[in-house]
Amino acid sequence: MIELTREDFLYQIPLLILAVSGVMLILLEAFTEGNRRDFLMSLSVAGCVGALLSSIVLFRSIGDESIELFGGMLVADRLAYVLTGLFAGATALSAMLTADHQRTHRWEVGELYGLMLIATAGASLLSMAGSLVTIFLGVEMMSIAIYDFMAARRGSRPGTEAAMKYFLMGAFSSGFLAYGIALLYGATGTFDISSIAAFAAENPSDPLLVVGALVLVVALAFKVGAVPFHMWAPDTYEGAPTPLSGFLASVAKAAGFIAAVRIFAEAFGGDVMPFGRLGWASVFAALAAITMTVGNLAALRQERIKRMLAYSSIAHAGTILVGLVAVGVGAGDGAMAAVVYYLIAYSLTTIGAFGVVSWIGSRDKERLRIDDWSGLAVSHPLAALVMTVFLLSLGGIPPLAGFFGKFYVFSQAVSAYDQQLLWLVVIAVLNSILSLFYYLRVVMAMYFREPEGAFTPMRSPATVIALGLCAFFVVKMGVLPGGWMSIAGG
Amino acid sequence: MSDIFFHITISHFLILAAVLFAIGMVGVLVRRNALIVMMSIEIMLTAGILTILAFARLHGDMGGHAFALVLIAIAAAEAAVGLAIIVAVFRSKRHVDLERLHHLRD
Repeated sequence: MIELTREDFLYQIPLLILAVSGVMLILLEAFTEGNRRDFLMSLSVAGCVGALLSSIVLFRSIGDESIELFGGMLVADRLAYVLTGLFAGATALSAMLTADHQRTHRWEVGELYGLMLIATAGASLLSMAGSLVTIFLGVEMMSIAIYDFMAARRGSRPGTEAAMKYFLMGAFSSGFLAYGIALLYGATGTFDISSIAAFAAENPSDPLLVVGALVLVVALAFKVGAVPFHMWAPDTYEGAPTPLSGFLASVAKAAGFIAAVRIFAEAFGGDVMPFGRLGWASVFAALAAITMTVGNLAALRQERIKRMLAYSSIAHAGTILVGLVAVGVGAGDGAMAAVVYYLIAYSLTTIGAFGVVSWIGSRDKERLRIDDWSGLAVSHPLAALVMTVFLLSLGGIPPLAGFFGKFYVFSQAVSAYDQQLLWLVVIAVLNSILSLFYYLRVVMAMYFREPEGAFTPMRSPATVIALGLCAFFVVKMGVLPGGWMSIAGG
Repeated sequence: MSDIFFHITISHFLILAAVLFAIGMVGVLVRRNALIVMMSIEIMLTAGILTILAFARLHGDMGGHAFALVLIAIAAAEAAVGLAIIVAVFRSKRHVDLERLHHLRD
């Protein structure tokens, strides 16, 4: 019998704020007249800020403890609160950018903000998961809400097509997730991750355990968009409304990674690693190498900017997998912190990049081809500067957030496991250099080509504030990485 | 020999579930009609539920039974959203053939 205490509710306040305000927003939308969507957007941002602030408070008060809630279903620790804070912040930024996109392209849908908060609550549930049941619930809560709002732009043909592709691939991976959980349950007789860890330490090569874990790898590889399970990502990112592509690339991707951390690093992260010498990390190492290379090579030949950013996001998933491999071979808290730092840096950068893409689109022309960016530095110097910051951060140029993300991940991977991962880091570094080509192509177009004709982008304060915040944090994380690294747990 | 047919054990359920999972997976990869792909996905989820129930019986654990119910509810929610999306695609294109969706391509 599980006794519920006050702590059980106290430690999951950020999650409750997100879920409750999400449901309230959807109810409120039904009673809102026509053109009052901005008010819903502000409320959703307020909900996110509330969740962000409460995660900061709980992060400070919890220290290095790890507290089990609801009989082990949820785990409250610093990792959970950092990620919840990131999800809440990223959602607030995406919501601010979405409002303008809706107004410019005339697809005002108010339920979207409530659904975004529910998706974020699902992601936050994943970051606190202490049991495979919670993992499944979190993944589904997030995914079902995302399927809904991806299809919200009803008149757009690419939009519905993107939603359908995302739905089919997402549901396919849920099938793998359910079956993988079933096999792990069969091997261990429990859903609880710490009990599975105890079982795995004693019977590392139990066949059901190994097969179940491999099925889970497939499920999570779909969610984070790792090659060869990435086919949905470019289509979905390109067809979705631009700020929502940013949401998908930041919140949904980071949530997939935190699920992988909770399952693999914690259930199979004991001193005795299951599956032989490298443990489960060997699978991830292979995935990481292919994902980075395929993602970057495909991004090189893209003419459309959203598709290019989609392939770049696949490549970044590969780099984060390198960090996960370092966690897997026992690099410990340092590698974990590097992964978290990278997730924060990448999320802020990618939301910003998609935000600028959304900003330069006007009603009759969305300006999604790279050629459309010609001469932006002449007509809109500030927007060009901000986009340059994001692109250089994605490419890993110091002193921006992306550089330190890569630096920490690579240095942890090199020093881990007697430098056995050196080959992987070499591939990763070569890939980062390769990626500079396509990021700099956009920068070149903005600064060294003649403008092709004037246009009026959207000019609402919400977009400007959101882009300004993204750029500010991307620069700040690069100039003063130490404080952020200690937040991430290093 | 006939014992295999008359004595139904846990492994029968597990093998049935594995076969269902394989059928569902092949269906998703081979079929091109979005509705049939969705049905195949539902078969895969059913395989997961059946496996969990069989193991719950084996381990004598009520937690597994409870999770199976939760899974059924989630699968239903997912199917509802999926059907709505497929209807939206059908309205704009008058077909749901995955091969003929050309808006988003390399």
